[in-house]
Amino acid sequence: MLTSRTGPLTRKAIDYSGESLYRATRYFTQVSCQTMGRDPSNSQPDAEHFPRRHPRCSPPKGFYARFLRFCNMEVIVYFRRPVLLVPMLLIGALLWLTQPIAAGDEWKPITPEELKMTSMPEAPGAAAVFLYREVNRNDMGIQRGRGATEYNYFRIKVLTEEGRKSANVEIPFLKMRTSVSGIRARTIHPDGTIANFDGKVYEQTVEKTQGVKYLAKTFTLPDVQVGSIIEYHYNIDFEDYYLFRSYWVVSAELFTKRAVFSLKPYDRYPWTVQWSWPAGLPKGTEPPKEGPDRIVRMASENIPAFVVEDHMPPRNELEFRVVFTYHDEVPEMNVEKYWKQFDKKKNGQVEAFTDKRRAMEEALASIVSPSDSPELKLQKIYTRVQQIQNLSYLPRKSAEERKHEDIKENKDVEELWKHQYGTGWDITWLFLALARAAGMEAYPCLVSGRSEYFFHKERVDGRELDANIVLVKLNGKDRYFDPGAAFTPFGLLPWMETGVDGLRLDKDGGTWIQTPLPVSDESKILRKADLKLTDEGDLEGKLTASFTGLEGLWRRIDERNQDDTERKKFLEDQVKESIPAGSEVELTKQPEWNSSESPLTAEFNIKVTGWASAAGRRSLLPAALFSANEKHLFEHANRVWPVYFRFAYKATDDVNIQLPPAWQVESVPKDEDKDLKGTEYSLKVERGNGGIHIQRMLRSDLFMVPKDNYPVLRAFFQFVKSEDGQQVVLQPAGATANK
Amino acid sequence: MRMIRAAVLAWIPGALFVALSARADAPAWMHTAASMPLPTYDEKTKAVLLYSEDITTVLSDGKTKAIERRVYKILRPEGREYGEAYAYVGQDFRVGSMRAWCIPKQGKDYEVKDKEAIERSLSVSGGELVTDVRVRMLRIPAAEPGNVVGYEIEYQSRPYVLEDWWWIQREIPVKQARYTLQLPAGWEYKAAWINHSAADASATGSNQWSWVVNDLPAIREERRMPPFRGLAAQMIVSFLAPGSAQRSGFLTWNDMGKWQAGLASGRREPTPQVSQKVAELIKDQTTPQQKIAAIANFMQKDIRYVAIELGIGGWQPHSAADVFAHRYGDCKDKATLMSAMLKQVGIDSYYVVINTHRGAVGAETPPMMFLFNHVILAIRLPEQMHDYQALLNHPKLGMLLIFDPTDEKTPVGQLRGELQANNALLVTPDGGELTQMPQLPANSTGVSRSAKLTLDAQGTLRGEVNEIRRGDFATYERYAQLEVNSSKDLVKRIEQEISHSIGMFQITEAKMLNLNINDLPFGYTYTFAAPAYAKPLGSLLAVRPRVMGVLSSDLLESKEPRQHPVVFRGPEKDSDSFEIALPAGYEVDDLPPPVNADYSFASYHSKTEVNGSTLKYTRTFEVKELSVPVSKVEDLKKLYRVIAGDERNTAVLKPAVH
Repeated sequence: MLTSRTGPLTRKAIDYSGESLYRATRYFTQVSCQTMGRDPSNSQPDAEHFPRRHPRCSPPKGFYARFLRFCNMEVIVYFRRPVLLVPMLLIGALLWLTQPIAAGDEWKPITPEELKMTSMPEAPGAAAVFLYREVNRNDMGIQRGRGATEYNYFRIKVLTEEGRKSANVEIPFLKMRTSVSGIRARTIHPDGTIANFDGKVYEQTVEKTQGVKYLAKTFTLPDVQVGSIIEYHYNIDFEDYYLFRSYWVVSAELFTKRAVFSLKPYDRYPWTVQWSWPAGLPKGTEPPKEGPDRIVRMASENIPAFVVEDHMPPRNELEFRVVFTYHDEVPEMNVEKYWKQFDKKKNGQVEAFTDKRRAMEEALASIVSPSDSPELKLQKIYTRVQQIQNLSYLPRKSAEERKHEDIKENKDVEELWKHQYGTGWDITWLFLALARAAGMEAYPCLVSGRSEYFFHKERVDGRELDANIVLVKLNGKDRYFDPGAAFTPFGLLPWMETGVDGLRLDKDGGTWIQTPLPVSDESKILRKADLKLTDEGDLEGKLTASFTGLEGLWRRIDERNQDDTERKKFLEDQVKESIPAGSEVELTKQPEWNSSESPLTAEFNIKVTGWASAAGRRSLLPAALFSANEKHLFEHANRVWPVYFRFAYKATDDVNIQLPPAWQVESVPKDEDKDLKGTEYSLKVERGNGGIHIQRMLRSDLFMVPKDNYPVLRAFFQFVKSEDGQQVVLQPAGATANK
Repeated sequence: MRMIRAAVLAWIPGALFVALSARADAPAWMHTAASMPLPTYDEKTKAVLLYSEDITTVLSDGKTKAIERRVYKILRPEGREYGEAYAYVGQDFRVGSMRAWCIPKQGKDYEVKDKEAIERSLSVSGGELVTDVRVRMLRIPAAEPGNVVGYEIEYQSRPYVLEDWWWIQREIPVKQARYTLQLPAGWEYKAAWINHSAADASATGSNQWSWVVNDLPAIREERRMPPFRGLAAQMIVSFLAPGSAQRSGFLTWNDMGKWQAGLASGRREPTPQVSQKVAELIKDQTTPQQKIAAIANFMQKDIRYVAIELGIGGWQPHSAADVFAHRYGDCKDKATLMSAMLKQVGIDSYYVVINTHRGAVGAETPPMMFLFNHVILAIRLPEQMHDYQALLNHPKLGMLLIFDPTDEKTPVGQLRGELQANNALLVTPDGGELTQMPQLPANSTGVSRSAKLTLDAQGTLRGEVNEIRRGDFATYERYAQLEVNSSKDLVKRIEQEISHSIGMFQITEAKMLNLNINDLPFGYTYTFAAPAYAKPLGSLLAVRPRVMGVLSSDLLESKEPRQHPVVFRGPEKDSDSFEIALPAGYEVDDLPPPVNADYSFASYHSKTEVNGSTLKYTRTFEVKELSVPVSKVEDLKKLYRVIAGDERNTAVLKPAVH
């Protein structure tokens, strides 16, 4: 929020968003770089009997210093004024020598309590804890013709043997953009004796690509034992003339007793900085404040270690951090005004892309007939645009491949229609243009996917609206469509675009919308099996499995670039995984993989060996055949985070089992129907016609279950698991049933 | 065969010309390979290695140059992974050039070069803290089904040992593989074949030989199969320099043992600090056994595993003095320091160089420096001291105790399953020999559970379980618990275990036994309540006597015929004993039958009995042989099915009639 004047600027942006391409090679163990002391395990017998951690030869993973992330090194702007270069360097060098913020090469005092400490009551059982962390960033170095600097200080108490891995320190940095200097480290033993680190600091290539080199300074502290305190500090020096993105990572893998952060922002005109804490701040922490010296500071105590759990909300929603955003123009802090301006800009872009009325009318003529109802027209348009080659869902192509295949960028919907290929984003806008050409009231909308974070318009960050959909007023109702999301059925949105806020773009400043959250009936799994029980207790027969809505969608997307062989394996594995016993499964009919509308329906022959169990003269048959998927759900009593479900679903099993002639049903379990509204389970077993008929249903309309309600949720799924274990009792025909 | 060789030779010079004159086109050797007629492969074959060529040139100064060429035809989408070419770069081996191409079904060829490569340190995935080995990767465009991709890498290296390893067989079919060796004048070679009959070498130039192998089937991955290197066709070539001035490749295990010993020469010398520490450690210990235990305990608890491997540092240990001073090291460092400390108390010890995947090195495998990935110790025991299980009776050295100082959780006297019955290089004072490590008795490893439980009329089962884990089961559980970062999560391992067998349960109390005392078995004691454990069947109650613990496996539940033997981790003996006090007013109506299954490789026995008002279930499972050959795999499948059936079997209770 500080501004002052500088001269004209040049900008340079670097895209570091490319995913890591590294993966272990297939034959590393067999080529000439195997050494002793390693444990390459490409050909290891499978892990089934190795469920536990492999003993050492594999060293510990996950060095805690990794919380310094590469993203922190993303360049925002490049300042370079050659005329001023020399004087700036001189002045900068002078100031550098005297700057206070990075001169912290003195160790902080250690208390006797820290030395004696054997555990941390606030973090019982922790392997190690941060006693102290400090990050001081100074972006004003740029103004002196230098780069920004960041001073990092860590003090870690080792509480268990496992905690000793904290002695391995890895400081990643981006060559040419940053460098790491002034590394000092020491080990303090519980008796107070100090061993200063005088070993070698290694520089390793983490990843090197054309023009970009990620390196890491690596060192390990000697003689670290349980009870030791590990302490180190270093400076990160950012490249001269560059302004880098900045944020404070408050949550860490270890519990933190105390952490302090500061940032001296670059405040020369026209640059201003804003800061926010999207996931909140630790309990009792005062938000960052700017002091009279224009330094933003924050201190936090007792920061819990960040825990990863199944079914947790997006990490970004939970991890405490403070994000600094630089602006080269005065940011619009009025939420309403900001979004109006955003709407105007984005609406203009969409209109420019879609405003090809004549071309669209011609295209429309080949899709719909004038006599079609509006709903039918829309459906036909939707189906047709989904037939366009969707580049977003094909294997990634290099620029050379695109050139080779003569794939061009579509400047507008007319070109897209002509080329019959485009990105998913553009295909959705083509749908908008065609819907409008058909005379419908249709609006472009930008929404925020909820896979990575939840949207808050108060954060006034337009980049968070990262997905596009179309709103069509149909029969007086608002309907949402995203045909650019491949295989999404008409009337549904991909799960991450459901139940989210978005902005309907128009000329009038836009309107906030919320997409609907589909109910379980819209995403169903139906398994219908006709089976025979053999005299040996095996189940054999046919299974038809059908997946609709979002259940079909994710499977189609997952397998979109695979062939029939892989898809067969995928489906067979899915059935096997759903049966809590060894089974042979063979796909006999492939589903329609390329459709969006039809259910994904597959047929199988299945054989479950030894499904009936012996009980003396009786035989028992578990009631639920497809119950393995729920077996390990919420098995732990302790929970830290809320439980987050991506979408609602309903799984229905309809199983007929023909009994061998020599057997008859003695008893069946009583009917169950447990309905907690948000979730429901029912089990019904009927006898008749020489067999049994089992109907099982599990429905979940849950979205977010607060941590406090976790015991109820866990109890429900434990109930499901328990009821799935109900047995049908069989006995030889003619035997007298026990009553 | 002769005609094929001639054809291959003929197009090599042409390839160089084409590569230089039309840089965007794939070289002629790739086009030739791409045009080879192929047999019909089954639907699971994702790609075929059409052509593999390795040309190794040994220079008179002992340096080598190598060219690696590969041509793949991608048959299925899964085969897209072959659109990535990898090269390894290190202090003593570097990549001269790296190029890759794609011949698409239609259109012009693609070419990618060095500058487009991504390079990454192996330490990121390999686990070492510091290593100079990096992997360089080129992504080949249009790696799609139907297209042919290939690459050429030129390596230059100064090998530590004059030898080479030709990998012939792969996880996909190989149409043709070729290896060419060029030696300086006067040099000779010795070739040894593994998992393949020896192919004849043909002289293709002055002191140049070539080997060609055609049409090798794929080695398909199967769960619990032996290590790939124990199955695949390979050739190991030792280069033999004239006279004794130059170092040569290994001809015998003794040669390799001497090389290993040479690397460690002088590095086991104790410093005064080491001697002082040893004196401190054994101060109160009187017997050799106690002294070994004290030193082993120090190695396990005080010396951290940290691997810093640069250049020859991948093979050569740091000195005992350095390891002691830093209190860290990798496996060979820890073995070195322990050996030095043992020497201080008058106990000799020898390096044992081993591969952690049993079966990777067979009894007939020729010596080669890349065969192994781990170093442990053989400790020479006084004759009268044979209390340990991990013992090897050596004809010359006497009784040797095998111990892995890197493994922080396996106590002295025991050995992890993967190291047992494994072929390893024992580095003796005379050199070295390939030696099989001992196989421990089955009861050295396993899980034993006993529980006294009570069932009420509503079907709730409650009571206390005692679980004792020995051997590997104790080791792995200790490692797992070590990673738990909150005392609240200590119970998660138990919850996970129970959830395999019981749907609804609550652990009411739990404690661990001997987490930090390696010498004693690890254990859990916990109490739990499982509502609705017994299922009502009208007026009857169904109770599964096998309350918890899963020994069955769906490993072999497949219609696909098994290709490879099944490998067990190690010998194992498990036992369960569950006593369930029945609810008042109920008596047993039906009991599951006893199970007795005995095979040469494993056995399983269980029975359910009634003693008064108590239902008692007992079972044992024993692994006797560490590998089940393909011919006996159907028996293993039957055994697993029998176990699965027994684990589901149920007792039926009825209201008592008085």
